[in-house]
Amino acid sequence: MTPLQSSALERRFRVSGHPQLLISVLDVGLACCALEVGAAITAGLLVLEEPEHSAVLEPRMNVLLISGTVTDALAPGIIRAWEALDEPRVAVSFGACANTGGPYWDAPTVTKGIDQLIPMSVYIPGCPPRPEALIAGLARLAGVGDAG
Amino acid sequence: MIPTEAHGTIALQPSACTSCMICVRECPTWCIELESHTEQVSEPDARRPKTVNILDAFRIDFGLCMYCGICVDLCPFDALAWSPEHDLAATTAGGLVLGIDELSRAWPNRNPTSGS
Repeated sequence: MTPLQSSALERRFRVSGHPQLLISVLDVGLACCALEVGAAITAGLLVLEEPEHSAVLEPRMNVLLISGTVTDALAPGIIRAWEALDEPRVAVSFGACANTGGPYWDAPTVTKGIDQLIPMSVYIPGCPPRPEALIAGLARLAGVGDAG
Repeated sequence: MIPTEAHGTIALQPSACTSCMICVRECPTWCIELESHTEQVSEPDARRPKTVNILDAFRIDFGLCMYCGICVDLCPFDALAWSPEHDLAATTAGGLVLGIDELSRAWPNRNPTSGS
């Protein structure tokens, strides 16, 4: 199996209201939750860093953001994406499906929580969570306290 | 700007809850846990004591909750309500399970005339 080149897929963001938090996000958008990540960018809550700037501002953290339903068939891909991510890395679970399987708690093909696959740093509840909930969850990464 | 009627999370008013279990039974993801016991309440002029339910524990696992609001809609006593509170991220899966204290803290502070 060829190693996953995750760096080509990562995007660097500033988190609105948390200037010290510069993150490089590999967004694994698998279901409707991914739209809320897009909404966070559109609303200016997640600010995309231009590539020429991000070369100067090294990201302090590589974030694997899993937003959506992980099926057992897809689970090996999630593990590969995690392993391809450079240190320091953290995994963030966004939404009920990624957290626990959510509405698919009784489905035989859905992974009941991606913490069975990789170590998680933050769980963001919601179905889907608001874009503001994403920012509040990402703020937990820096220990910068509660987001407004 | 988050509207006050936003479906951020579900809040509980414990004093309104009668432990009827309707929310627990109707939840599609079975994310609500409720524990209660009954007590006899004697009133001076009553022929016999009344039996009332006392709420001991009420937990919602927001890891499982799909925010459908069926519990809010079905609660006959309006003990559950939507709250705009959204900052509920946790660093452990168990941290998404909220009990009576956290759920009642999230109770929305709305103008009663504006409805819910």
